[in-house]
Amino acid sequence: MNTRIIPKEYNYTAPQTLAEALDILKQKNVRVLAGGTDLIVRLKMGSEEAMETMLDIKRIPELKGIAYCEKGAHIGATTALADIEENAEIIKNYPALRDALVAMAAIAVRHMGTIGGNFVNASPVADTAGPVMVYGGQVHLKGPEGERVIPADEFFVGPGKSQLKEGELLTAITLPVQPADSGAAFFKKTRVKPDISKISTTVYVERDGETITNCRIAMGAVAAKPITLPEIAKEAIGKKASKALFAEMAAKVADTIKPIDDIRSTAEYRKAVANVMVAEAFEVAWKRAGGAL
Amino acid sequence: MVEKRIVGTETPRLDGVAKVTGAQMYSSDVHLPNMMCGVIMRSPHPHAKIISIDTSAAEAMGAICLTRDDVSTYMYNERLVSVPSATYRDRTLLPIERVRHVGEPVMAVAHETEELAYKAMQLVKVEYEVLPFVLDPEEAMKDGAPQLYDEIWYGLEKGKVHNNKGVIRNVEEGNVDEAFAAPGVKVYESDFTLNRIYHNQLETKTAVCAMQPDGSIDVYSTTQSIHGSRIIISKLLGLPFCKVNVKKMAIGGGFGSSIQINTVTPICAALAQKAKRPVRIASSREEDFYSHHKYPTKFHLRLGVDPEGTLVGGHVTALVDFGAHQIQPLAYMGCVSGWFADMYKYNNNIRFEGTAVYTNKTPCCAMQGYGNPQINFCVESLVDEICNDNGWDVVDFKLKNYRGVGDEFWGQGPTIRSIIKSCGVEQSLVEGREKFKFNERTPYTEKSGRFRTGTGLARGFHCSGTGGPSEGEVIDFSSCMIKINEDGSIDVLTPLMDHGGGTWDAVAKIAADTLCVPLDMVGLSPAETRSTGFDVATHATRGIYCGGAAVYHVAKKVKEKLLEVAGRIMLENPSDLEVVRDDELGQAVVRTKGYHRKSMTAGEIADHARIFSWGTIAYTDSYRQKNCPPCFVTHFVEVEVDTETGEVKTPRVLMYADCGTCVNPQLLEGQLVGSYNRGIGYALYEDLPHDPKTGELACKGLLVNYKTPTSYEMPSIANTKVEVCDTYEPTGPFGAKGIGEAALASVSAAVGNAIYNAIGIRFTELPILPEKVLAAIKEKEGK
Ligand SMILES: Cc1cc2nc3c(=O)[nH]c(=O)nc-3n(C[C@H](O)[C@H](O)[C@H](O)COP(=O)(O)OP(=O)(O)OC[C@H]3O[C@@H](n4cnc5c(N)ncnc54)[C@H](O)[C@@H]3O)c2cc1C
Repeated sequence: MNTRIIPKEYNYTAPQTLAEALDILKQKNVRVLAGGTDLIVRLKMGSEEAMETMLDIKRIPELKGIAYCEKGAHIGATTALADIEENAEIIKNYPALRDALVAMAAIAVRHMGTIGGNFVNASPVADTAGPVMVYGGQVHLKGPEGERVIPADEFFVGPGKSQLKEGELLTAITLPVQPADSGAAFFKKTRVKPDISKISTTVYVERDGETITNCRIAMGAVAAKPITLPEIAKEAIGKKASKALFAEMAAKVADTIKPIDDIRSTAEYRKAVANVMVAEAFEVAWKRAGGAL
Repeated sequence: MVEKRIVGTETPRLDGVAKVTGAQMYSSDVHLPNMMCGVIMRSPHPHAKIISIDTSAAEAMGAICLTRDDVSTYMYNERLVSVPSATYRDRTLLPIERVRHVGEPVMAVAHETEELAYKAMQLVKVEYEVLPFVLDPEEAMKDGAPQLYDEIWYGLEKGKVHNNKGVIRNVEEGNVDEAFAAPGVKVYESDFTLNRIYHNQLETKTAVCAMQPDGSIDVYSTTQSIHGSRIIISKLLGLPFCKVNVKKMAIGGGFGSSIQINTVTPICAALAQKAKRPVRIASSREEDFYSHHKYPTKFHLRLGVDPEGTLVGGHVTALVDFGAHQIQPLAYMGCVSGWFADMYKYNNNIRFEGTAVYTNKTPCCAMQGYGNPQINFCVESLVDEICNDNGWDVVDFKLKNYRGVGDEFWGQGPTIRSIIKSCGVEQSLVEGREKFKFNERTPYTEKSGRFRTGTGLARGFHCSGTGGPSEGEVIDFSSCMIKINEDGSIDVLTPLMDHGGGTWDAVAKIAADTLCVPLDMVGLSPAETRSTGFDVATHATRGIYCGGAAVYHVAKKVKEKLLEVAGRIMLENPSDLEVVRDDELGQAVVRTKGYHRKSMTAGEIADHARIFSWGTIAYTDSYRQKNCPPCFVTHFVEVEVDTETGEVKTPRVLMYADCGTCVNPQLLEGQLVGSYNRGIGYALYEDLPHDPKTGELACKGLLVNYKTPTSYEMPSIANTKVEVCDTYEPTGPFGAKGIGEAALASVSAAVGNAIYNAIGIRFTELPILPEKVLAAIKEKEGK
């Protein structure tokens, strides 16, 4: 391993249109390059031996940019993480996504990395996954057979594996307009600020007066993929919001998750802080939904 | 017309523009015509016999390969600052018989590009016989443990290694047992475990080596000592010193990791010799990770204290896990005994018992403090404990027991002793406790809630160089040449290295003030081993105090010569003349004292000497400092502990620096603040566990897995305060001593003491990770 060099020859191509890109994807051993903050790392580590062609999709205009309309937000796959985090509509309407973005990596990586890359890379720690899942986001894929739209919480399959099929590109992530009196919050724990999560949590609530009318919980770095916990979340629905309830919910999450020991932390610690973070996320989400405690 | 001294004023860094624009040349920027690129194959095994190395396929693709068959079997030690009898040697240019740690160089390959060299390297077949290995120092000492060595060179004699014990070093003064047994004396003791961490200097180890038509070799390399590098290369390549020319280069940080030559450089030199072409080897980050670490050490510390609060004795046992090669654990342990002895007076009853053990891990070397931060953490933690237990004020306790002016100071272990002549300890403690409101702190028993703050105090120091009244184990002197040019500007030629701390700025200022010229009339000449006298290394916080002193010494001699020549021209006795700086004229002016009837600029004088063929006004000499003054630091730290997650922040810090006259004020502050960052890294974040199955680093040498604190982890700028003590070191150039390594010494102890003050838990093992804090809190609460 020598992370300064890529000791490998390959073709590099950067088409200007989606059609061309999909055409190139029909070839053998093509790897898609967006920001490269995952792919280039793997190349340097020698784990992309098979790659013959690098397909750079950053020059395709329709894959880039953020649009917000009455249906919600449309985020092009190759939109840089930093551009999303600075977008006024995102900040206003999807603050949990912004929480996650500003908590990711260091600023240089956020200027290179993209949301499409974060999804297709399908790491159990992918920080944008939680917010997109709890906001009810959808993943748009395009391939030779046309377009598919998959709910974000069904997109991830396992470490590095997603619903994306060979020959397909992720074209966009969309987020529906959020109901009034709803709110979400993202928290993560890291070793130092710019770092991959030891554990992350996203909590979403809808509110009617003092009662939780809908709830979603997502967790990162506690399983083989980013997960949601619909069974537990359901238990909050119909209940009156309170610190005690949030603590109870957090304890349930901590009991359910099965994290592992790794270089960043221990299973025991992850469970212990889930107990704290989930309650905090509930509190902030609840406040963002306009609730009082 | 007499201008303000330049030493002590804020001046833009001399290399600032070059560094911020990227114009600064580092070794890795050297591109020579016809240059090849080299890569090093490194061992995947922690311990293995090399059966065979087959390079045919690589050679068939045009690569030049360097294997054990090509190299000298001379055993060397990468670090060359100790006298030969105190330098233990155990390694060869490439391993001849076996590899002893993952990441150890096995062979090297050169080709036209780095990519081609890497490809060729992948074709080299090495057959290993994998041997059992040992990672734990306690295991390593047991009978039947895998043995790393049969024999090594203990200085000038070859000897056997028993049970992997590489060095045993004991130091004793007075009588600890008697002191501890005295009536009323209470003995406090504790174990401490200090972590293995990585230097993480910006520049990874690089060398460019080029054979010259006359059979000599030019070397551009990452090193803190060009002369040390030359001696080693000369021995390993079998060339006379005059045929090894090591160039002084800018280096991108060191933190001690390049006091030694670094294995990359001799490998590159041998490869260049074989290729008969220039070769460049630049380590990747992960290779660098496997090159050197800070010494991890397990200590057992005992301190005896009488009822009046006087420390009456101290006893340290140290177990050092130094890895697979010696980069001077002998000197390390000597120094640790010294740093221990220097902290407090202990009525001169001191015992140090050290054992340093070989393990199949990356070799350890100096890292900012050379054992000082390690032992400081133990002593200052236990002293805090003693004060808490007895209800004594820590500041008063320290004031009562510290070593200060008039006391003996061991600058580099027991063989290098001098008397302290300047000391900022009192000022730091007395002023600091008010400024930081340290005296208003409450005990942890009065704290509650999720987030608890606490304040902690620790003091430390380091040596300024390794000089002293008599010569000890460590070589210390520097050399310099200065000339006055015919326009009054001066050229300074010094082999002294600057690893980013501003040593070159300092020597330029010292030369400028001694010869009374503006700073921009000082040129720092490119230097190489051929053109300079010896300098041992920029290490041991000796840059300004020792290297600067050589410049100061030579500049004074040049000044004498200037006055002599001026006297000849002005028809005056030189002793009736003086030199002053004239910023309007932009140079030095020589004039008659008192009533300035006659005056000439230094340029006029030097030009006169040229026109009349009198010669150049210049001087060259070597100089050794006969003292080793301590530079003191004190850290007041506030922490905030999240008792639910175990996370520790340090929202506020006040640091005192006693460096004598401060030569570079902004750089001093930078040194303290930067070291604080590294200090909290050591205390709270960094560690290098190994995979017990493979012997690899758990982080695999990847920075994404090894986290060092960033600016986010630092206190705000407003809450990061540096105060400079008002001291003057009579033996230093313009009253200056060092500060470099001292800046780190007491950070971790102050953090640990602050955590204790916040939550009442004493951590004796670094790093204090949130995982450990939370577990300890739960244990304390009986959960
Ligand atoms: C130092 C560092 C810190 C990091 N910290 C974090 C962190 O805190 N949190 C976090 O979640 N991640 C982190 N990452 C990972 C990474 O930055 C993110 O996953 C980022 O979003 C990846 O985006 P990219 O555009 O760079 O992906 P790329 O590397 O370009 O691609 C990633 C993968 O997705 C595929 N791909 C990319 N775009 C598409 C597409 N549109 N259609 C189909 N396939 C596609 C690529 O082929 C590749 O397999 C970090 C990375 C680094 C280097």
